[in-house]
Amino acid sequence: MADERLPTTPQVLAVGELTLEAEGVGGRPADAEGIPGRERADRIRTVVTYAVMFTVAALFFIPFLWSLSTSFRTIADTVQGFSLLPRHWTTAGYHDVFYKYHFGRYTINSAVIAVAITVSNLFLASIGGYAFARLKFPGREVLFMLVLGTLMIPDQLRLVPIYQMLVNMLPSWVGHLGWQNATFTNRNGVILINLVSAASLFLMRQYFLTIPRDLEEAAKLDGAGYFKTYRRVMLPLAGPALAAVCILTFQGSWNGLFWPAVLLQEESQRTIPLGLVYFQTIYTTLWPQLMAASVVAILPVLVLFVLFQRYFVAGVAASGVKG
Amino acid sequence: MPGEWVDDGRADVAVAVAKKRKVRGLGSERLREALVGYGFIALPMSFFLLFFIFPIGYAAYISRYDWGIFRGPFVGFDNYRQLYHDSVFWQHAVRNTLVYTVTVVPLQMAIGLSLAVVVNNAIRFRTFFRAAFYFPALASSAAIVAIATYILASDGLLNSFFGVLGYDHRYAWFSRTDTALPSIIGLNAWTTCGTMMLFYLASLQSISTEVYEAAAIDGAGAWRTFWKITFPLLKPGHFFVAVVSIIGALQMFDQSFIVGGTSGGPNYSTMTVVLYLYNRAFSAHFGYAAAVGLVLFVFIFTVTLIQRLLFGKAEVA
Repeated sequence: MADERLPTTPQVLAVGELTLEAEGVGGRPADAEGIPGRERADRIRTVVTYAVMFTVAALFFIPFLWSLSTSFRTIADTVQGFSLLPRHWTTAGYHDVFYKYHFGRYTINSAVIAVAITVSNLFLASIGGYAFARLKFPGREVLFMLVLGTLMIPDQLRLVPIYQMLVNMLPSWVGHLGWQNATFTNRNGVILINLVSAASLFLMRQYFLTIPRDLEEAAKLDGAGYFKTYRRVMLPLAGPALAAVCILTFQGSWNGLFWPAVLLQEESQRTIPLGLVYFQTIYTTLWPQLMAASVVAILPVLVLFVLFQRYFVAGVAASGVKG
Repeated sequence: MPGEWVDDGRADVAVAVAKKRKVRGLGSERLREALVGYGFIALPMSFFLLFFIFPIGYAAYISRYDWGIFRGPFVGFDNYRQLYHDSVFWQHAVRNTLVYTVTVVPLQMAIGLSLAVVVNNAIRFRTFFRAAFYFPALASSAAIVAIATYILASDGLLNSFFGVLGYDHRYAWFSRTDTALPSIIGLNAWTTCGTMMLFYLASLQSISTEVYEAAAIDGAGAWRTFWKITFPLLKPGHFFVAVVSIIGALQMFDQSFIVGGTSGGPNYSTMTVVLYLYNRAFSAHFGYAAAVGLVLFVFIFTVTLIQRLLFGKAEVA
């Protein structure tokens, strides 16, 4: 599915994480010809397997489909008992959500935060990953271990110190630099503390390690400097890894609830997830509107997922199992 | 794209140029490389130092003060002492977090493994099924909880379904002290099992097919093959999934925050350690919240450390 969509990549794709998902790597040989009775047993197993799969898949889909169906209902419709499809189709839920309950603004806030964090992750993780993968400097291993170590620090531990830093320390620091009255308990703060993640950097470094050195050597001989080598040789070759970082970072920051809940205090700054939380506590039973807002929250990630499924999978693989 | 660099015949010229340059000497070249290296990692490293490493020490510092919104008097280990005797923390936050963890982790693992085994077969629509099972893990948790609240409402889809089966009750599942936490457990088992499935899939695919061929020749059935061969061979996989799942469960926040608000309602039944931390911090008890954070960190760190010791040299978790 997503496999054909991949841009033509050089053989370097052989990095474990990003090829892990090639189709047809089934763990066991499906055919067991020549063993008596085996064929019938296999057929029964196949039928049972499909039945279970479709049932489970349906269970996984029902909540989403139900919310989609409700988002096109009228409020009266939601209390009239069960019906699969809306009795009267209406887009009033969506209209209300955007024009009455400010989800238009929340969508923009979410998009700004997610795009800013994604762009900065792409740049910082790739340049840092390149340095850690290719350039030799004293202390490289120790510093890299330090980066990986940050993966073990839970966000919760950082809540108090980061909040205090953003409220008390940083404004006075940047004040010395001439930026008076800066505040970070807003969108800027959420972006600032997510500029790069160790997971992105790790993913980039691992990928760079698998790129053959010949190309860089050629560039070097051509007189290209380190930055030019990074920019003109390494980045174009790292397409799959960049795509994985891009998609995973976007998804993570688009869905993020913890830091927005900590840092966004003004109503006008809320992101979609945070807006959903507040909407739910205030208007408990405006189901069509709530479901419409949920659809808006889920849709971009769904589209990304349908288009680039393998990168999501690659990210999970990279974050965990080695070999 | 890549080809441009090598195929345009510039290589020979380049070699000649390089020979001339060798005069420059190795020492300065190495120094230059090191400096460029530091330059490239300067931004990411200062970010990690400022927003990850420094906050640990700063949290420890804050936890030793009676720190409301601003720094108050130094109190030594008073916050920790108070935490030791805090009944809301132990009887609700810690208890709920542990109950949640010991129920949701086996659920996620069992469902994740079953899905992985099924999806790992050579069947049609594999990609579709894998995507369908994994998607809930990617969707916004706030939206998922909103949908769940709707389905679990007193006149919601779940109760209608139970009504058809003859159990005609009108629970608002998220609003009762006895069903709120179990509902969150069920919800999160559903959303997260897809991730566990992917971990197990990676693990399954590392098992050599020869073992299965041997089992097939011996005439072992599918069920027997699974329990006698696949399950034991997945041991590293089980371990990894368990640890990831436990660490995630110990940090549960989003669902409780949405269902129960900052006080983990109804009546603390959905209060978790992280939610309690958030609650303390934003009722202007930052010193105390920092102490909660450090206790949680030490606990999670211990779990991770045990994993490292038992699991060996895994580079990253």
